[in-house]
Amino acid sequence: MIEQVLANGLIVGTIYALTALGFTIIYRTVRFFHFAHGVVYACGAYFAYSVLRIAYSGGGPPLHEATADLRYATTWVVAIFAGVIGAGVLGVVIDRLVYKPLRKRKAPNLVFLLASFGVFIFIQNLLQLIFGAQILTIRAGPVKEGHHFLGAVITDVQILILVVSSLLSVALWVFMQKAKLGKAMRAVADDRLAASVVGINPERIILAAFAIGSALAGAAGILISLETNIEPTMGMNAILKGIIASIIGGIGSIPGAMFGGLFLGIAENLGIWKISAGWKDCIAFVILIAFLLLRPGGIMGIKTEKEQL
Amino acid sequence: MEYFLHILVITGIYIILTLSLNLVVGYTGLAVLGHAAFSCMGAYVSSLLALNYGISPWIGLFVGACVAALLGVVIGFPSLRLKGDYLALATFGAGVIVYSVAKNWVAVTRGPMGLPGIPGFSIFGVQLSGVWEYLILVAAFVFITYFVIRRIVKSPFGRILRGIREDEVAALAMGKNINKYKIIVFVVGAFFAGIAGSLYAHYITFIDPSSFTVMESITILLMVVFGGMGSLAGSFVGAAVLVIFPELLRFLGMPSSVAAPLRQMIYGLLLIVLMLKRPQGILGTYRWK
Repeated sequence: MIEQVLANGLIVGTIYALTALGFTIIYRTVRFFHFAHGVVYACGAYFAYSVLRIAYSGGGPPLHEATADLRYATTWVVAIFAGVIGAGVLGVVIDRLVYKPLRKRKAPNLVFLLASFGVFIFIQNLLQLIFGAQILTIRAGPVKEGHHFLGAVITDVQILILVVSSLLSVALWVFMQKAKLGKAMRAVADDRLAASVVGINPERIILAAFAIGSALAGAAGILISLETNIEPTMGMNAILKGIIASIIGGIGSIPGAMFGGLFLGIAENLGIWKISAGWKDCIAFVILIAFLLLRPGGIMGIKTEKEQL
Repeated sequence: MEYFLHILVITGIYIILTLSLNLVVGYTGLAVLGHAAFSCMGAYVSSLLALNYGISPWIGLFVGACVAALLGVVIGFPSLRLKGDYLALATFGAGVIVYSVAKNWVAVTRGPMGLPGIPGFSIFGVQLSGVWEYLILVAAFVFITYFVIRRIVKSPFGRILRGIREDEVAALAMGKNINKYKIIVFVVGAFFAGIAGSLYAHYITFIDPSSFTVMESITILLMVVFGGMGSLAGSFVGAAVLVIFPELLRFLGMPSSVAAPLRQMIYGLLLIVLMLKRPQGILGTYRWK
């Protein structure tokens, strides 16, 4: 049983990690809580759903048949690209329309946070208006029995989630360490003024951060909707878990976000196992509050945390 | 007419919530995001007392408000050490926890099924039933809340609160125990939110956790910010406009599946526009720092 709990925790943890990574990339450069990140995640899933819906008028082809039939495969590729790129574009649009004017006025963090809540509420309800409040699904076809692996049962889709989100996380890590843009992003995160002195344009870096972070959110949204359902309110849960994971790991830290996501996923699933599924959010927030009070810098926090708290 | 009066009663309840949150957010400058948790507490305590033990709603209201205040101590004591975004996040989390307790502790709260048949108020053995009577009752409580909070903010105590809001370090340097003041203010806010929750429960006669979500907390905060931070008149304006205006959508003949998200969209848009154009609100005196 414990193996299954750990496996479930790990799978949901990688999704949390992916959301937390996107959130962190943005947080590092702009230094406020981009709450609307959650709704970008939901939009990623809805964009992919829309493509499949248009292509097949209601429900997509089963994912496992996509590998067999080239026509199915192209639709899926288009849907995934629409979701990921659409989410990236949405993130940038939010930044340009809402955050940039606030940045120009040097607005305090809380104004950003409230504006971000506004964006979240607006888009979430727009989704509800367009698609309805009901649960939709992009996976069609029968649920296949999973593979037995080290005492746990894991389905194909879960393996896909695990592999894709781990690959994305590692790719992001390499990008931040090696690529020129990634290095510039780290420079801006460390010291915006010094970065602009050496010729890095902070506005361009913020743009890149929103594009990359939001695209990751879109990818996470699509991955989770392969496993569960999509509904307009899915973003709230995602962003809360993303923020909690980031704070557990140490806000602003990329390895911290990955670690925090996995930690939260496993802790939550242990809680579900020992208590009951309804208390999931409660457990997550108790962990958050414990961390905020006892170790606000998180497990791998970067040093600027002290001054902020 | 009945419907119009009903909207006024609801407006009155929101005015109590907005006034009490304004004391915390607008006058003391604490970014608190979990106000619905306290009205939830007040509503559940007073309803359960009435349903399970037959205790008069008047006593229930008072006990509910006191328990909400106690919850304020429990939440405020640890979380008020945090500042800014982190305080907002911690109180937001507290809101989620209270909501999930109301939803999951089925043995006591009946969870998502809610508590039906909550008895109403009675005066000298006469049951209050009409919406008129409730309007007068709620108006009386609005008046009491307004009076108490006005007294607080106009007193030397209120000056200290504004001192904390404007410059915490300076207030500390003046020898003020700012943590004590923050907790007192937080608890007073929680007490009045508890009253509002209890009034709501006994008026509607049915509660379930969905009335006390974090979205509800954000809506109350929006009312404070819209009306004006640190302005009592602003709280009246904020609550009234944001309760009454979306009701007009109903008169346009929209089905509720359209009107409900549209109303939320208006709230969201309003929040963005306010932050962009006038972060202190219509009648506000204070901007976030």
